[in-house]
Amino acid sequence: MYRLEWIERRKLKAPAISPADQVAKVSPVVWKLGWTSFLTDISSEMVNSALPVYLVIYLHQSPLQYGAIDGVYNGFAVVLVSLAAGLIADRSKSHKGVALTGYGVSAICKVLLPAAGGVWGWLIAITGLDRIGKGIRTAPRDALISLNTPPNLMASAFAVHRALDAGGALLGPLIAFILLARLPGAFDVLWVTSFLFAILGVAALWLYVPRPEEELFPQPSLDERRISRRLLSVLFASPHFVTLVGCGLFLALGTASDGFIYLVLQQKGGTNAGFLPLFYVATSASYALFSIPAGICADRFGRRSIFLGGYAVLGIIYLLLLFMPAVGLPAQAGCLFLLGLYYAGTEGVLMAMASTAVPPEMRASGLAILATAIALGKAGSSLLFGWIWNAYGIPSAIVTFGAILTAAMLAAGFCLRVVGRKQSND
Amino acid sequence: MTKPNRIFVTLCLVSAISLAAYILWARTRSADNTAGAPKSVASATEAASPATGSATDAKPMPAASPEANGTKAGGEPAAPSEAAPDNARNKTSKQIFFRYNGVDSHYGQLAFAPYERLDQPHFIENLSCEAAYVAGGRGICLAANRGLFTTYAAKLFDAKTFKIIAEFPLKGVPSRCRMSSDGKLAALTVFISGHGYASVNFTTQTLLIEADNGRVIADLEGFSVSKDGQSFSNKDFNFWGVTFTPDARHFYATLSTNHQHFLIKGDVANASATVIHENVECPSLSPNASRIAYKKRFIVDGRIIWQLHILDLKTDQETPLGENRSVDDQLEWLDNNHVLYSLPETGSASTDIWMAAADGSNAPRLFLKKAYSPSAAVLP
Repeated sequence: MYRLEWIERRKLKAPAISPADQVAKVSPVVWKLGWTSFLTDISSEMVNSALPVYLVIYLHQSPLQYGAIDGVYNGFAVVLVSLAAGLIADRSKSHKGVALTGYGVSAICKVLLPAAGGVWGWLIAITGLDRIGKGIRTAPRDALISLNTPPNLMASAFAVHRALDAGGALLGPLIAFILLARLPGAFDVLWVTSFLFAILGVAALWLYVPRPEEELFPQPSLDERRISRRLLSVLFASPHFVTLVGCGLFLALGTASDGFIYLVLQQKGGTNAGFLPLFYVATSASYALFSIPAGICADRFGRRSIFLGGYAVLGIIYLLLLFMPAVGLPAQAGCLFLLGLYYAGTEGVLMAMASTAVPPEMRASGLAILATAIALGKAGSSLLFGWIWNAYGIPSAIVTFGAILTAAMLAAGFCLRVVGRKQSND
Repeated sequence: MTKPNRIFVTLCLVSAISLAAYILWARTRSADNTAGAPKSVASATEAASPATGSATDAKPMPAASPEANGTKAGGEPAAPSEAAPDNARNKTSKQIFFRYNGVDSHYGQLAFAPYERLDQPHFIENLSCEAAYVAGGRGICLAANRGLFTTYAAKLFDAKTFKIIAEFPLKGVPSRCRMSSDGKLAALTVFISGHGYASVNFTTQTLLIEADNGRVIADLEGFSVSKDGQSFSNKDFNFWGVTFTPDARHFYATLSTNHQHFLIKGDVANASATVIHENVECPSLSPNASRIAYKKRFIVDGRIIWQLHILDLKTDQETPLGENRSVDDQLEWLDNNHVLYSLPETGSASTDIWMAAADGSNAPRLFLKKAYSPSAAVLP
């Protein structure tokens, strides 16, 4: 990738720029998409952090039933919907319209929550609908980010967006806990606050983000049906894209979900379960902090090395979980800090790499396919981790995941290098 | 100002104003409820211990409203109607303790009412509990300290003065608690569930406690379990829902492993337990120690449904109760013939307590509205 970037830069005759310039050059549209996500994430994380408490303590549902909400229940539908949303966005070239639909659906869910009261079936349906909204909006929004960004700033642009996104995920739970501490049991106030933030998020997108310019799409004559038919053949004929999807899937299989990492930290450190939301907040804070520096480094020194470096950080977390005898508070904080660093180095950078590998007229579909592959990998990894944990204990699970991660990193390093070299030779 | 800016700023202002109005309304709402509760003079309980037990007398709660159970109107207490158990009439000192669940200023407080006058509850204002249990003159309260990050604590208290005897922090979200009938031992279960966004993975911790000093004497994870005469142990053991025998030397509880839920009988002194039945969750031993009321798990359309059953310990015979709804609760015996349990109130976040006949004969009746975690205690 480094050589590819270098050649691109030579072609563009782009002079070397300072990191501050790099951030300043990120399109205002990307910043506005970032603020949209910031507001939306405040809204959704307020609800997500309060929902378990609401269900378990106020409605007296068991965590197992909560797991039913959270589990595989909605997974399949969400995968189909997000692929369809990517395809529709590309066909209609209305990425903004599709993304607005997704943000709108989630906003409506926040109004439905108080109406559902304690009725179990409704709560499941609303949580599912909220997920579908997220599935609809993600790929078109990421496509909008990439379509408003020159290739040499791609990672920086995604980094700006993810930093704001993580900032929202950091503030949401805090606002929820402050509200609940002030007005105990007033969940309706929480849902209303969440709805208002969601509305502001939708408004920011609707008012400030323009549709991508027509000249970005080199083949305006391409008719709608041809896109969907060509989609698979073109995307999967691109070795670069296929490699990214394969690497993303393999690496996701070796990634233990946050939930499990928090559980291991909690069990080793003997932290009170009440403090677990703090883990989540600390990870988001670290992610928000490191996202932009990581993105800048990725654009300057090569996305592949930063991407693999991010996974190396995850490997370090595994080693710490395995070998630290007793985890004190500073060590727990250190692990969460590293977890945020891992996200900063991988999530947005992968999307940036994929964006340069997919032609603009198929951007949303391509990013949706990649996101789907990663989601499948994560679902598989959760099942695997849970099963090994139950059957053989925590150390076995961590060792297995360390082995999968190492293999995936070696494979990814090799494949991405070969593909990058091929591209730069073309 | 450009047009988008104007719209956005207007929207922000409208949101801020409506949110402020809503919060103000939410605040006055709870203040109204406080004012609406007609507080009478302090009860005898408060007089007994002015320093700690601030119980107040209030009438905000229509215990088992007449419309709901079909008995005659006119303010007469609904619970001891014609269907009420006969022997309960003799025990005039029977008190029903519960967590009050009505959304007003007493929300979450421990409350109690004489069995004959369930519509006249007393509230214990210094004890807000997620779950509570009273027996043998002592009580246990699993409390939440809601702040930026919620923590939980167990409080043992005297059931007459409501003075706290001992208190210690809990490692997770409170679920069940019980007290032996002599008031010597307490037991509690918490969920060490972990991350709220996470998967089905959850674990429980179940502790036995000396009630007079709050000392934890055992974690059931440390018990040696046997099944069919052989030692039985698995990494995924989870214990919950303890119920003590009248002599407090033994107890029953649920042991879950590998998607199975066993009834175990434990020996406190030996730190050992034996599997005696399958598919029994949250057991509750009848006062005469002959039967166990519990919830039995069924999977219907991929969802867990719990149906209430009675297990006769002598004959091993299972009898379903006349309750068709799924109940996720540890039952409480009102007397040897009736059990109490809570169910979510239809369409709300609150719960009601229902009563069913232990022989499965009659349809369940609404016992007490806006209440949770009942215990029937005979106070001397």
